[in-house]
Amino acid sequence: MSASASPPKSSLDALLEEEEDLGKAIDRALLTRLWQWISPYTGRMVLTLVMAVPMFFSQITPTWIVMTGLDQHIVPVLADQGIIEQSPRSDLDLPFLEPLLTPPSGFPVLWWLGGLMVFGYVLFAGLQYLQTLVMVSTGQSAMRDLRREVFAHIQKLHLGFFDTYPVGRLVTRATSDVEHLAEMFSAGLVLLITDLMKMVGFAAVLFWVDPYLAMWTFVVVPPLALAMVVFRFKVREAFRATRVLIARINATIQETVTGMKVVQLFAREERNQREFERLNGAHKDAWLKSIWYDSALFSVVDVGAGVIAALVISQATESVTAGTIFFFLRIMGMFFMPLRDLSQKYSVMQSAMSSLERILQLLDTDPEIQDPPEPWARHVGQPGGTRVRGEVTFENVWFAYNDEEWVLRDVSFRVAPGEKVAFVGATGAGKTTIINLLTRLYEVKRGRILLDGVDIREIPQRELRGRVGMVLQDVFLFTGTIEDNLRLGRSDIDEEGIRRAASAVEADRFINNLPHGYATEIHERGTNFSAGQRQLLSFARALAHGADVLVLDEATSSIDTETEALVQHGIHVLMEGKTSLVIAHRLSTIEDVDCIYVLAKGQLVEHGSHRELLAHAGVYARLHALQYSGEGAAALAAGR
Amino acid sequence: MSAVADFVQARETIASNRRAMFRRLRGYVLRNWRSYLLGIAATVVYVGFFALFPKTVQWAIEALIAGVRGPDLWGACGLVAAVTLARASARFFSRVTIFNAAREIEYQLRNDLFAHLQRLPQSFYFTWRTGDLMSRAVNDLTAVRLMLGVGLLQVAQTPFMIVSAVGMMLWIDPELTVWVLAPLPIFIGIARLFGRAMHSTNLAVQVGLADMSNHLQESVSGISVVKAYAMEETTDRKFGELTQNLYERWMHAVRIQAGMPAITGLLPNIGMLMLFVVGGGKMMAGELSVGEFFAFFLFNIELTMPLFFIGWMFNLIQRGTASMQRIDEVLNVEPSIADRPDMLDVRELHGEIEFKGLSFEYPGPDARGAALSDIELRIPAGSVVGIVGPVGSGKTTLASLIPRLYEVEDGSLFLDGNDVNRIPLGTLRTSIAVVPQDSFLFSMSLADNVAYGLPETDPAHVLAAADRAQLGKDVVELPEGYETLVGERGVMLSGGQRQRAALARALALDPKILILDDTLSAVDAETEAAIQEGLSAVFEGRTVIVVASRVSTVRDADLIVVIDEGRIVERGRHDELAASNGLYARLARDQDAEKTREGGIAAVGGGE
Repeated sequence: MSASASPPKSSLDALLEEEEDLGKAIDRALLTRLWQWISPYTGRMVLTLVMAVPMFFSQITPTWIVMTGLDQHIVPVLADQGIIEQSPRSDLDLPFLEPLLTPPSGFPVLWWLGGLMVFGYVLFAGLQYLQTLVMVSTGQSAMRDLRREVFAHIQKLHLGFFDTYPVGRLVTRATSDVEHLAEMFSAGLVLLITDLMKMVGFAAVLFWVDPYLAMWTFVVVPPLALAMVVFRFKVREAFRATRVLIARINATIQETVTGMKVVQLFAREERNQREFERLNGAHKDAWLKSIWYDSALFSVVDVGAGVIAALVISQATESVTAGTIFFFLRIMGMFFMPLRDLSQKYSVMQSAMSSLERILQLLDTDPEIQDPPEPWARHVGQPGGTRVRGEVTFENVWFAYNDEEWVLRDVSFRVAPGEKVAFVGATGAGKTTIINLLTRLYEVKRGRILLDGVDIREIPQRELRGRVGMVLQDVFLFTGTIEDNLRLGRSDIDEEGIRRAASAVEADRFINNLPHGYATEIHERGTNFSAGQRQLLSFARALAHGADVLVLDEATSSIDTETEALVQHGIHVLMEGKTSLVIAHRLSTIEDVDCIYVLAKGQLVEHGSHRELLAHAGVYARLHALQYSGEGAAALAAGR
Repeated sequence: MSAVADFVQARETIASNRRAMFRRLRGYVLRNWRSYLLGIAATVVYVGFFALFPKTVQWAIEALIAGVRGPDLWGACGLVAAVTLARASARFFSRVTIFNAAREIEYQLRNDLFAHLQRLPQSFYFTWRTGDLMSRAVNDLTAVRLMLGVGLLQVAQTPFMIVSAVGMMLWIDPELTVWVLAPLPIFIGIARLFGRAMHSTNLAVQVGLADMSNHLQESVSGISVVKAYAMEETTDRKFGELTQNLYERWMHAVRIQAGMPAITGLLPNIGMLMLFVVGGGKMMAGELSVGEFFAFFLFNIELTMPLFFIGWMFNLIQRGTASMQRIDEVLNVEPSIADRPDMLDVRELHGEIEFKGLSFEYPGPDARGAALSDIELRIPAGSVVGIVGPVGSGKTTLASLIPRLYEVEDGSLFLDGNDVNRIPLGTLRTSIAVVPQDSFLFSMSLADNVAYGLPETDPAHVLAAADRAQLGKDVVELPEGYETLVGERGVMLSGGQRQRAALARALALDPKILILDDTLSAVDAETEAAIQEGLSAVFEGRTVIVVASRVSTVRDADLIVVIDEGRIVERGRHDELAASNGLYARLARDQDAEKTREGGIAAVGGGE
């Protein structure tokens, strides 16, 4: 079952990925680790295995009864009438069943035995029902637990991980990979064992009933079984090829449709068609192969049933009765069933193993950023302790997203409580990185960051992020109401607080105009809101959460003039009385901050107030002057 | 009154659609008539042996009961084996031929669909969503194939199997037949109730699954917000609730599903019970022979599968025809942009473009009036023309009409004096190269992407084009150079790199007309300057249309056309337009100020 909600693209990708690396069905190293998820369910798995024994006996009961009925009751009557000449067999009598098989006097014996058949079938069906229930519930419980573990782990991973791991793939880990693994519980391992047990049981019963016939029967079984297993595996193989190919075909169609404009502009249609037909043809050929083996398999099963019937009858000795033959025909039918399903169970195991490997790989990924081991006992944020005053210090901070490609080099600065500072510089100069480091979404490589004199690595992340409020460029809205999006799960923020925050940044005006006000549902990540409205929502969000230090990544997306004024107003409200760090993309908005830091190639090259920097006649002054001289800018841009 | 008329009309459309669909379907089936004929013949043979098999067992058993043993019994047993072999071979042959034919049709239909999609104009892709098309190409095609394969096979054999098996049973003993088949209606009733319950619980599981994966997807996509606002516990709790909810839905579904094997086993077991109780009585009364008992036993087992298939068969056919109709809907869309009968024999273009009173409106239900009105514009071969204007003014639309991406009326657009609608599409699109705004790259190597419009990937050609687009220095940084897989399933290129790759792809064509649709917007000032410098050499001998939102990009153009709300409002050279106090001058002022900041900061920061 695949997630119907995920876009087709990612599911195709997942299919390709999942089909292309299939390994062993049983990998011992992986199984050892799997044990931790299995162990809570050992009881249930043992129960399933134990249930297989009564299931086996109840499954053969109706057949046994028909055999007994034929041999003990019907054939003797016919023999008495002289229709056939044969004496009833007595070597199969089971004394302990005797009273059960004998009807109370006056009760027609066939109806009595028929009743016992019903009883046998009901018992078998009941047990089978229970077994399925136990197995599936085990699988589902394991799946639920594993899923939670995967999810919790994903959330612990540091942000850098998400830059390299596509969302679709993560979703696949927690959905279809977990499902494959759970399938092993419900359809793989245990059934594989019980099936083998059953087959041994069937063979044993046949040998007990008539060793000579059984011997002859089992002469035919090995080649038949071999043919069945081989054909099944061939079908699987061809089928897997078709799955890979169809995923590629569909990905090709999808890509061609998406890029159709380019296809047509570059008159690529014919070549595309040729390539597509080749791929499509390969898919067809793989299918034809699969159809061939699949049909051969059906025929082998057919032949098997007939040949065994012919053999059993032809090898019958004087002592063989009608009941015996009936028993053989029926039980051999049952014997081949598990054999037919063998390959299916094998492939369940196989995909479970490769899913397990991928899940473990994810779970083994180091979260990198972790809370301090010892309980948080510092003064910050403790009841009765000193609250954060809002002093931020960077001490010789170095940082690189990739090894040694330094984004920040030896950056040091101090922001006093209540002070407002701004960072300017080109894209890639390291402005946004400062925010990511201060909130510990990424870890500094060298140096340290202090919040009120405490290294942020010693503060639990939850605590830290509660104190440092972030307003990000990209305003992400979750499914839910506007109110949910402002509260973000903090139960200590009441409705009043939310409304106050929204009205302070003047977001309430447009919210109140919505059909359901604060209860308006946000659809598709809030695409129904304008960039400006989303900004206002994110301000209200930050304000409601009442951080002491505010980091603000100014939006670059264009906003209409009217909303722009609201946004500017919102920023002022937001920064009031808080230590604020603003990442500025437009110089005009930051002229009144206390201190401006100019970043270039990861280094702080200048700092000071707007006026000081202008007087200093350095980089900032040049930038500022350029704003009012188009010619100069063009010269600068072209002259470099 | 009109509602009724609408309804009648709608019914008629559906009926005529169905007729058209069956006509198309018949075409495909007839193309493969030999396979189907052979397959059906084999099926008839199969059904014959299928009905004969239990009888052969009956004869062998009767001989056995009569006391025949050893070699004398081999004849009867040999017949059993022979009929079995014949039955299996016929079955093999019928399955392989019919399924292969279905696969063949699937193959042909998919090729035709793909070819058709490639012929459909851009306006089609305006109104049809990719997801919808994909679902037709994937799910509906599968449904059609199932109908033509398994569906057809079952139609051909199931009724015969049932009729012949029941007929044989009736021939042996009508009364016993009635007893054995009597529980069938009850069984069908139970199975149907069961199926319905299973369907609704499965639906509930799907909903639970969708909720769970939506939350998962959202939490991962918004992970930076989750972390910034320390929401981990909340989202964890929510996820826990959703997984629990899913678990409960599953368990609810399983409580019903787990009964499925019991239900499927019910039918042969009830038959067996009846056979034993009633048939046994008849045997004791001398009304049924032991051999006939065995024949009944085998018929009872063999009837199970066909009886199960009946409901499924109708379902397959119903879904198959509905799906074929959905595919037919796409195939019925006329490819409105194609070579026409009155096509001119034009092999190459020189590059002169002329719009004569051209007006254009996007097709489709949510068209917003004219996108372009009364465009009069003559572009001499070899000149560089800049088109500027605010967002949504119609610049890109104007450029898209030149390679005939959308339909224009006859007599409104001429290339080298020929109506664009009468120029062969092949000539048109190999002589005009466009660098589109979104610079879409395909999931293939970078070299193949650059050579996308060429008959084959020639390394020297690729290198030259990449060099002119300033792509060379980026290639060095890629893991496998020009062989690096790019596109959606490959390495992520930056916006600027993608644009340069798209530029290289266009230059590789060596086009007579080059259209740059806001090509360099994602490139920083430094690179843009470098590319522009390199481009001026490339512009030589071509007609170049530069669509730009930045005024600076078109500063040096021979002619600048300013578009606003679909109309040409100004035209001239940069100096003239900047001096006049119109829209261009205003745009130039605004953007200069903006660019100064960006350019200035980039300069200080050392670019990227």
